[in-house]
Amino acid sequence: MSRLRGLGLLSLAGALAGLALALAGCGGDHQTKALRPPCPAGKVCLELGNDGDPNSLSPLKITGTYEDRLTSDVMMGLTQSAANGSPVAGMASSWETSPDGLTWTFHLRNAVWSDGVPVTADDFVYALRRLMDPTQASEYASVLYVIKNAEAVNNGKLPVTALGIRAVDDHTLEYKLEHPAPYLLELAKHQTMFPVPKHVVEKWGDAWSQPGHFVGNGPFNIVSWKLGDHIHAVKNPLFYDAKSVCVDEINYYPTYDSVAAEKRVRAGELDANGNIATNRIAFLRRPDQMPAYVHVHTYLGSSYFAFNEKDPDSPFRDRRVRIALGMAIDRDFITQVLDHGAVDSAYTFVPPGIANYTPPTPPIWTTWPLARRQAAARAMLAQAGYGPGHPLKFELTHPSSPTALIQMPSVQADWKAIGVQASLKQEDVQILFQDLRLRAFQASWAGWIADYDDAMNFLYLNQTSSGVQDYSDYHNPTYDHLLDQANSEPDGKKRAEYMRQAEAVMLADQPIAPLVFQVNTNLVNPRITGWVDNIVDQHRSRYLCVKGVPVVH
Amino acid sequence: MTATLAPGSRKAPSLMEAARGRSLWDDAGRRLIRNRFAIASVFVLGFLVIAAIIGPYLAPYSYDYLDKTHVWVPPLTGGHLLGTDSLGRDLLARLLSGLGVSLEIGVVATVVSLVIGITWGAAAGYFGGWLDELMMRFVDILYSLPFIFFVILLMVTFGRNFILMFVAIGFVQWLTMARIVRGQTMSLKQREFIEAARAVGLSGGAIIGRHIVPNLLGPVVVYVTLTIPDVILTESVLSFLGMGVQEPLTSLGTLISNGATEMELAPWLLIIPSILMVVTLMAFNFIGDGLRDAIDPKER
Repeated sequence: MSRLRGLGLLSLAGALAGLALALAGCGGDHQTKALRPPCPAGKVCLELGNDGDPNSLSPLKITGTYEDRLTSDVMMGLTQSAANGSPVAGMASSWETSPDGLTWTFHLRNAVWSDGVPVTADDFVYALRRLMDPTQASEYASVLYVIKNAEAVNNGKLPVTALGIRAVDDHTLEYKLEHPAPYLLELAKHQTMFPVPKHVVEKWGDAWSQPGHFVGNGPFNIVSWKLGDHIHAVKNPLFYDAKSVCVDEINYYPTYDSVAAEKRVRAGELDANGNIATNRIAFLRRPDQMPAYVHVHTYLGSSYFAFNEKDPDSPFRDRRVRIALGMAIDRDFITQVLDHGAVDSAYTFVPPGIANYTPPTPPIWTTWPLARRQAAARAMLAQAGYGPGHPLKFELTHPSSPTALIQMPSVQADWKAIGVQASLKQEDVQILFQDLRLRAFQASWAGWIADYDDAMNFLYLNQTSSGVQDYSDYHNPTYDHLLDQANSEPDGKKRAEYMRQAEAVMLADQPIAPLVFQVNTNLVNPRITGWVDNIVDQHRSRYLCVKGVPVVH
Repeated sequence: MTATLAPGSRKAPSLMEAARGRSLWDDAGRRLIRNRFAIASVFVLGFLVIAAIIGPYLAPYSYDYLDKTHVWVPPLTGGHLLGTDSLGRDLLARLLSGLGVSLEIGVVATVVSLVIGITWGAAAGYFGGWLDELMMRFVDILYSLPFIFFVILLMVTFGRNFILMFVAIGFVQWLTMARIVRGQTMSLKQREFIEAARAVGLSGGAIIGRHIVPNLLGPVVVYVTLTIPDVILTESVLSFLGMGVQEPLTSLGTLISNGATEMELAPWLLIIPSILMVVTLMAFNFIGDGLRDAIDPKER
């Protein structure tokens, strides 16, 4: 009996395999379609890879680029990213600034939420108050401390009504700032400045951002979310510019393993995916591989190591230990040999190419050859009390991405060469950043991608006031003071000079060890049109289309 | 009649030998030796074990040494017999250390499963009744837990470490062992020699220790040789999913997993560890097969 049933199953499997072969044999186009979920006739469907599953859809709860990619497809702030990443009018149709640069007035267009309720200035006020409300503990609140009284409100010293935001009428919004911020339009496209649908949040509370309750004002609507599998979105017919949106349906897939995702893109299963494993770029660009898919562009991003100084017993409280570790890393081997020159070695934190900023001269040891740096590092560790008899031991957390799996063992070997025993611990990217925020790590890889094109967006991370995002728990009054001075300085040149001095102070302390300056890499099927490489790596789905389908822009 | 005594006394040793007869184990050993695959596998495995133990000391490179001038070189280049990986680490050195780790996990996890499985199964089978019901239902419940889920839970609760892997795998493997042992025990306890032991007044524990367990060895030995490769494979699955051993330590599964991501670029990083894995697993399976045929000829 059981044997017969086994045979039945076998023949069924055989038949299925035969069917799959027959389907695959029908020619290239059918082959790719067989791997994709069905797309309704006459519709345009996109299958997009995303480096992680978001923690939430709420713009007030997210921090990652993989979350921004999704939330910015379904919601929109006063400005939005154009195809080339620059800020253009979004919910606001026009704006003006006061002569002193401290008051900004935005005029909203006639737009509605996806449930038909109008988007009003009040929704923006409500969102900002919610973001800054200390009981909400929003991790990203500090990025908006430029708004009048924001820091005091976020620390519970002032009521939320004291915030420098005011709904003049339903369609006019006024911001008051602490100091002039030429980058406010860049910030206005960032999720922290998004409005939230007040009527929905008041009805559902924190559960408002779950699929089913979620209401957005962006070009797409979330339909369903299968955790760890995919998120399904369709075009929002009520979006103010819906006629210009080409794509009808999108599926977002979390792709933690970029090499596996690369195979899915190659097979036509995914239309685009970010983060190519850097050591594979040279290979993929070969003419017999997929050169037309490879997109590489300069990026405002840094990878670095954060050393957790919070614990009183932490070895990283000793400045000599941090400097020794930073010195001993052979960055050029990683960037030139392992990654074939796809990324650049970083000895400073703020990436080159950032607007109106000249980075400080890196510490003198960066010019020494590796052997001399190793000797100096060993000597510093010995001064700090570590040596062969009493080696420095700690755990280094890193993401489980293929790029990190290449880079981290190399760093580990460099540290071993100066007698440091670092054990590696890999984590999924959400867990890693959660550990960083909770300070549940000893040393960790970390990455920072600019939210807006300004050096302050990097330097504020190590400022005491940035709270959970100061991963190393670094507190240096000189550094904090220099950044405060930069913030209150209206003159651009002087402001840059304060920031440059601050970065030099920080680098001399090495609360973080810079590793590489990132590039943004994407694999995009050549049949996708409307994709523009840009320095912020923002590619909103509303601009994308598929070859052969007319675009209405 | 002193004359008859002399030859008799001379004959005594050979008579005694005849009286000892051929034990079950002698027969089994003879049958095993006749199985060429099994014997060849014993030699292969012996060689692999020795290589894994002393190889790392003889290899010119350490498994975590980065040869920064020879990164990703194919076999027989730059003094690397089997080439290097994407970080410039010698593949031969990594293979030897990976093999060692895999065998270590295989043996330790099997021993863990053996100890728990035999104790649990023999106790359940021998005492029977409600105790048997209770113990075996517990096994059924553990069986129903999805393995990967169980491992992830362990990792989240206790963090990642090497020892935990042994424990996790051993904890799952003992279930089958307990069932096999229980079945055998239930049939053994009906035998006359157990009745005799009970008549003499031996306690339950003593009967299990002195009479049941030694008689279980046949099926258990066979099962052990089949469990070790199973454990090595399980470890590979975990390493493939990124939950196994952590860099720079390696195992066969990790080597294959890393090799698979680079297979178009550096095929030797996938092919060589895979061959070694197949050879190891085949050797264990042939030995297990040979032992089963030898110990339990009815099953052939």
